Amino acid sequence: MSNESKYWKSLRELHDKDAVGELKAHEFMDGVTDDFKMSELSGMSRKQFLALLTASAAFAAAGCSNYRDRGEIVPYTRKPEEVTPGVPNFYASTCTGCEQSCGILVKTREGRPIKLDGNPDHPINQGKICATGQGSVLNLYDPNRLRGPEYGSSSGKSGTLTWKQADADITRLLDECAKTTKEIALVLHSVHSPTAAKVLSDVSAKYPTTRLYVYDLFNDANRRRAWQLSYGSTEIPSISWEKAKIVLALESDFLGTEGMTIEQVRRFTNGRDIMKSKDFNRLYCIEGAMSLTGANADYRLRLNPSQQLGLLLALINEIGLVRKKGSLKGTIPVQASGASLLQFANQHSLPVEVLNHLADDLSANVGRSIVLAGDVLPVEVHVAVNYLNEMLGNSALYEEKKSVSYSDHSTPSQLESLVARMKSGQVGVVVHVGTNPVFQLPKEFGYEEALKRVAVSISLVESTDETSRFCAYVLPANHALESWGDFNVRTGVYSFQQPVIAPLYDTRQKEAVLLSWIQGKDSFHETLYHEYLMTHWEKTIFPTLNRSVDFKSFWYASLHDGVVAASDHSTEPSRFKSDSLSTAIPVATDGYVIGLTRNFYISDGTFANNGWLQELPHPISKVVWDNYASISTRTAKELGVDNNDRVEISLPHGKQTVPVFIQPGQADGYVSIEMGYGRTNAGPIGSDVGVDVGGLLSKASIAGARVVPGAKIVKASGQYELVTTQEHHSLDDTFVKELHLKREIIREGTLRQYEKDPTFLHHEKKELFNIAHDVEYNGVKWAMSIDLNKCTGCNACVAGCNVENNIPVVGKEQVQRGREMQWIRLDRYYAGTPDNPSLSHQPMLCQHCDNAPCENVCPVVATNHSPDGLNQMVYNRCVGTKYCSNNCPYKVRRFNFFNWRDNLAEGYYEQEPISLMHNPEVTVRSRGVMEKCTFCVQRIADARQHATEQGRPLKGSDVKTACQEACPATAIVFGDMNDPKSDISLYRAHDLGYHVLEDTNARPNVTYLAKLRNIHSENLT
Amino acid sequence: MSTAALDYTRELPVVEGSPTAAEVDATIAAPLDQFPSRMWWIIFSIALSFFSIGVFCIGMTLYKGLGLWGVNQPVSWGFDIVNFVFWVGIGHAGTLISAILFLLRQRWRTGIARFAEAMTIFAVMCAGLFPLLHTGREWLPMYLSPYPNQHGLWVNFTSPLLWDVFAVSTYFTVSLVFWYVGLIPDLATLRDRTTNKIKKVIYSLFSLGWRHSNRHWQHYERAYLILAGFATPLVLSVHTIVSFDFAVSVIPGWHTTIFPPYFVAGAVFSGFAMVQNVLIFVRQAFNLKHIITLDHLEKMNKVMILTGSMVGYAYAMEMFIAWYGGNQFERFVFLNRALGPYAWAYWTMVSCNVIFPQLFWFKKIRRSIPAMFIIGITVNIGMWFERFVIIVTSLSRDFLPSSWGHYTPTFYDVGILLGSFGLFFTLILIFVRVLPVVSISELKAVIEGGQPSKH
Repeated sequence: MSNESKYWKSLRELHDKDAVGELKAHEFMDGVTDDFKMSELSGMSRKQFLALLTASAAFAAAGCSNYRDRGEIVPYTRKPEEVTPGVPNFYASTCTGCEQSCGILVKTREGRPIKLDGNPDHPINQGKICATGQGSVLNLYDPNRLRGPEYGSSSGKSGTLTWKQADADITRLLDECAKTTKEIALVLHSVHSPTAAKVLSDVSAKYPTTRLYVYDLFNDANRRRAWQLSYGSTEIPSISWEKAKIVLALESDFLGTEGMTIEQVRRFTNGRDIMKSKDFNRLYCIEGAMSLTGANADYRLRLNPSQQLGLLLALINEIGLVRKKGSLKGTIPVQASGASLLQFANQHSLPVEVLNHLADDLSANVGRSIVLAGDVLPVEVHVAVNYLNEMLGNSALYEEKKSVSYSDHSTPSQLESLVARMKSGQVGVVVHVGTNPVFQLPKEFGYEEALKRVAVSISLVESTDETSRFCAYVLPANHALESWGDFNVRTGVYSFQQPVIAPLYDTRQKEAVLLSWIQGKDSFHETLYHEYLMTHWEKTIFPTLNRSVDFKSFWYASLHDGVVAASDHSTEPSRFKSDSLSTAIPVATDGYVIGLTRNFYISDGTFANNGWLQELPHPISKVVWDNYASISTRTAKELGVDNNDRVEISLPHGKQTVPVFIQPGQADGYVSIEMGYGRTNAGPIGSDVGVDVGGLLSKASIAGARVVPGAKIVKASGQYELVTTQEHHSLDDTFVKELHLKREIIREGTLRQYEKDPTFLHHEKKELFNIAHDVEYNGVKWAMSIDLNKCTGCNACVAGCNVENNIPVVGKEQVQRGREMQWIRLDRYYAGTPDNPSLSHQPMLCQHCDNAPCENVCPVVATNHSPDGLNQMVYNRCVGTKYCSNNCPYKVRRFNFFNWRDNLAEGYYEQEPISLMHNPEVTVRSRGVMEKCTFCVQRIADARQHATEQGRPLKGSDVKTACQEACPATAIVFGDMNDPKSDISLYRAHDLGYHVLEDTNARPNVTYLAKLRNIHSENLT
Repeated sequence: MSTAALDYTRELPVVEGSPTAAEVDATIAAPLDQFPSRMWWIIFSIALSFFSIGVFCIGMTLYKGLGLWGVNQPVSWGFDIVNFVFWVGIGHAGTLISAILFLLRQRWRTGIARFAEAMTIFAVMCAGLFPLLHTGREWLPMYLSPYPNQHGLWVNFTSPLLWDVFAVSTYFTVSLVFWYVGLIPDLATLRDRTTNKIKKVIYSLFSLGWRHSNRHWQHYERAYLILAGFATPLVLSVHTIVSFDFAVSVIPGWHTTIFPPYFVAGAVFSGFAMVQNVLIFVRQAFNLKHIITLDHLEKMNKVMILTGSMVGYAYAMEMFIAWYGGNQFERFVFLNRALGPYAWAYWTMVSCNVIFPQLFWFKKIRRSIPAMFIIGITVNIGMWFERFVIIVTSLSRDFLPSSWGHYTPTFYDVGILLGSFGLFFTLILIFVRVLPVVSISELKAVIEGGQPSKH
C-alpha cells in the first residue's frame, strides 16, 4: 500500500500508518487464536470434506429411490421398426377358444396383446368373435398360469424341474414303452390343424404303440353320425342362411351355443335388417329349455326334447302325406305315416294354430327353409331332420363348403378300453395334450381312478387342473397368443395362428413339445414348431393351392392376412339315403328328462378361471358365477321347490345335487343343466364355481347323447343362492307385469303392422317443453343406434367393452349386492305367461343424454358434457357422492365401492402380470369414483388425432366403439348425427327409432329400433 | 298448574313456585359443582361405547371403502343419507325454540331453549358426519368448496348437494354463535360463583369480560335479537334445501314439489320429539321439574300434534297427487311404497308419524310422562323411517325394471348409526356437566318479580 493512498478507513490508519501496517500483517487479533490448536482439529481437509459431501449426496440420490418410481422410462436406443410407443399394432391370428377357430386380429401395444377382435378378412366369422373369444385375452395374463415344468403328485417328487430334465425323463420313458410295447396314450381334443395332425402322425410313426383318444365335452357327434347315416359322410355342409325364409330350430341354439355361431348370427340377422328389406325371415323354435334362439324366435313352442321326434314325424306326415307338398323320399316310415299333427298338438297341449302356420310356411317355402336339430338331441332326430330338409328340397341351401376335421371322436367303448388298460397297467405313458379328462369325461368312466394307476402321466396344459393334479409331470404350454398354428374347419378356409408375444414364462407350445420328444435329445429350440409348420406348408399344402407366387411371399402375405382361401376340392354332393329314417323310434319316457347343455361363456371349463367370463350374465336367466337346474313353474310345483332350493337328481349311473332356477318357458318335466361348471382345481377364481354335473353324464353321453330320460328328482335339503344381475320378478304379478311395455322401454310391433303403417310407433308425438336453452352442437356430435331386430342378446358387446375399458371383476358376492361393473348390459324382459313368455333383449348403456340428469346434480362438475355431445366422466375430479347414479333414469353408472382389483380373491387381479393386460388408453379407476360408458372416448380421440394428422375433418365413420366392433349381428351403429349422410342419421330418423323414457326429456343419444316380430297376425299377442 | 285450568286470560307463570334469583343460580349451577353421579358415569360409558362402535365402523369404511355398506346400484344412498336427513331434522327444534319463539315473545321457551339449542348443535354435528363419509373418496372434501385453484376448477352451483354444503354449514355456524352469545351472561355468572381456579380461568375467558352492566345488556339484547332474526329463516331454509336433494332430481318419488314444507314440518316434528324425550330425563336428574315443567312438555306435545298432522297430510297428498297426476312412474312408486317389498317400512312410518301422535289430542296422554315418552320415541322411529322410505324405496325401483334392486344394510351401516347416537349422547352428557342446561339470566327474567311490576 502506498503512502499516497487517497483512501483511508479510519483516522488511525491515516495518521498512524506503521502501527496499522503491522496489524494488517496479522490475520487475527492478538489472543483470538489462543485456543486454536491444530492437533485438535479433525484431519479432514476441505477437499476431503467436499468429496465426502458429494459422495453421500450421490449415495442418497442413488440409494433412496422414490417409492412412486415404478422403474425407468427410457426411450428405445434402437427402436424396433414395427413398434411405435402409443401406436397399436394388429396381427392376424386364430382364436382357439372353441372348435370354430375364428380368425382374429390381435391388438398389441408396445408388444403386449390387449384386445382380440374378429379378422374382417376371415370368410367365416368376418370380423367378429364371441364373448368368450373377447374375454380370452385374460387367460394369457392369468396369474394362475404355470411358469415352468413341475413334478406332479404321482411322481413322488415335488417342486419344479427344467425342461431339459423333463425331456430327458420323458423320452427315456417313451423309449421304454416302445421296447416293452406298452401303450402310449395321447388324450386330445378334436384336431382342426393340419400341421398338428401331421405332428400326431409323426408321433405315432416314431412310437408305434401310440394311440390317440379324442373327446370333446361338447360336440356335434349326433349330428355327424346322422349325416353319416343319411349321406354316408361326416362332412356337413354350411347353410345358405340368406336363402332361408323359414327356420325351424328344434332344441337347436344356433344363435347361442351351437355350430359356427358367429357366422350363423351374422347371416341369420342379415335376414332381419329393416334397413335393407322388409322381407324378414321367420324363426320357429321348438325347445324344452329357453335358449337364445328361443328368445329371438317369432314363434316359440315349448316341448320336452324327448317328444320332439314325434313332432318331426307328425310334421313329415302332415306336409308330405296330408298336404302332399315337397317330395317324399322313398317310402315314408311307418312312424311318420300314422302321426297326425293335430293329434300331436292336442296330446302335448301345443297351440294348433302355430303348428298349422309352421306346416303352411314350410310347405309354401319349399327349397327356402331350413330345419335344424340341437346337438343334445339323439341321432334319430337328426336323421328325421335330414329327411324333412330333403323332403322340402332344403338341400338346395346346403353350400359346397363343408366341415373339416382332422380327428374322429373316440367312441365310448374306445375310451372304456383306455380306462381298462390304464387300470391293468397296459398303458405305459398317458399324455394329456391340453385336455382335462378327469373333469370333462363322464365320471362313469372312472378316469380319475385309472389315472392314479398309470406309472407315467403327463399333463401339457396352461395351468394346473383336475387332471394335472394326478399326473407325474405337469408341463406348461403356451397360450394361444404365444403359439404358431394353422386351422382348417371348413373346406377351402385355412386360418393362421401366429405368436404376438414371446412366451411370458418358461413354457413351450404343445406341438413343439411332442416334436422335441420324437426328434430326440435337446432338439427343442424356440422356432422348432414354427419351422415345422412352414416346412409342412411348403411341402404339403402350398403345392395343392396352385399359387403363382413363391412360397416365401405366399407365406408372409398369408400370415399378414391370417387366412388362406383355397379352391374347394369340390366333392360330389352326397346322395341322400332315404331309408335312414327307418331306424327312428320315438322314445318313451317316464320320470324327468335331463338335458346337459353347453354353457355360454366358460366352454368345457377351460375358461373357468376367467373372471370376466364368469361374470358375464347368462343371456336368459342373467345368473352369474353358477350353473343350475332350469325347471318350469309346474315342475317346481310338483317337486315342491322354489328358486334357490336344491334338488337331488338321480340317474342309473350317478346322482348330483343342483340348485334350482325356475325358468319361464321351460318345458314341463324337462330339466336342463349347463356343463363346464364345478371345477375344483381351476385357480382362485374358477374353483368351486357352480356344480360339476359330470356325474350325471353316462358313458354314452360323450358321444352326444346328452338328453337323458328317466331321472328321479327329489328336493334336497339346504339352500343355495343363485345370483342374477337382474331382479327376477314374478311374471304373474299384475303390479309389475309387462312394465317394460307399459313404460315404453321396449317398443315392439309386428312386421305386418309395420308394412301397413310404417309410422305406427309415433302416432302420439309428444312435444316436450324445455326451460333451458338448447346447446348447439356444431361439428361432430356422437350418437348410437341399436337395432333390436338384430340384437340377439349374446353379450359379445359386454365382453368387448370389458376388455377395451379395463372393467374390473367384482365376484359373485358383490354382484349379489348389486355392484357389477359392466358398462353395457343386456336387459332382458319377459312378457306373456310364465309358460310361454315372449322375451325382449335390450342393450343398455350410458345414453349420453343432451339434458343429462346426472350432470346437473354433481356438486363438483365431475360429470359434464363435451362439445361433441358426450357425457363425460372426470375420474380425478369425482369425489363419489353417487348422486349422479341416483339421478340416472337408466341406471347405467357404476361405482367403485372398493378397489375392485384388490377386493376379489385376495387381490388376485392385482397380481402380476395382470397389469400388462390393461388398455393403456383407458384409466384404471380407483376406489371411490363413479364410472360409466364413455362411447369409447379413447377411440374418438385417436380418430381425431389421425384426422388432424391427415389434415381432414373428423368423420363419424372413423370411430367404431368396442361394443359395435364386437357385435356379431352388427346391430350397433355409431357415428356423427350431424352428418346427414351418415348411417347413424338414417337410423335416428327411421320410423322404428325411439328413445327409452322419452318423457323424462333427458334427450338420450342412443336410438333403439323397435323390434318387429314376424308373426302372422298384425297385433302382438 | 292444576288450578289454572280455566282462566285463559291470566298470564301463567313460566316457573313453578317462586324461586329467588340466588336459588335459580344454585339450582342450575348445581350439576356443574358436583362430581358426576354413578348413574351419569354408567350412561356416559354406554354412550361412549356406542360412539366407539361408530368410530370403528368409520375407520373400517375409510380403510376398505364404501363397499362395506349396503349401498349398491341402484340404491346408491342408504343409511348414510337417511341418517343425515334424520339428524338435520333433529337439529331443527333448537333453533325453532330459541329463535322463532324468541321473536314471537313466547316466554315459556326460556326453560328449554338452551338445552334445545345445544341439541341442535350436536345433532347438526352428527348430521355433518354423513355427507363427509358418504362420498367414495372421503379424503377430498375440499373439492366441494369453491376455492380458487390453478386448474380453474369450480363447483357446480346447480347441484343441490352443493347447496347442502352451504345450508348446513351456515346453519351450524349461526346456531353455534347464537348459542354462545346466549351463554355469555351465564358464563359470567358461573365465573363469579366458582371458587375453582381452573374453572375461573375458563369461564373468564369465555365470558368475554361480561360485567352485567347496563350497556352490556343493551348490546347483548340487540345482538341476540339480530341473531334470532338471522336464525329464523335458516330453520326453514336448511331442511328446504335438504329436501331439494330429492325434489330437484328426476327420480319418481323424489321429484315432488311438496317436499320443502313437508320436510320442514317433519324436521320440527322429530326435533321436538327428541327434545321432549331427553328433557324428561334431564329435569328428573337435575331437579329442574319446577323450571322445565309439565307445561313445557305439554306445549311440545302440542307442537308435535300440529307438525305430525302436517306430515300426515303430506303423506296423503303425495298419494293423491300420484294418482291424480296420472304419471305412471310416480303412481307405481307410491303403490310400491305401500305394497311393495318395503311396505313394512312404509307402514311403520305411517303408524309412528301419523297415527300414534294423534293420541296427544287427549290431555291425559299429553301430560303423562310415560305416554309422551313412548310416543316421542315412536315419532323419532317413524321420522327415521320416513327418510328411509323416501330414499330407499324410490331408488330401489325406479324407471327401468331391469335395474331394480334391493337394499340391505350391513353391520357397518348399523354401527355408524349407533355411533352417531353415541356421539350425540356423549356430547349431551358432557354438556349437562359443564354448562348450565337452562339459561340462568333469562330464567331470572321470568321468575316472579323478575320484571318490574305493573304500575
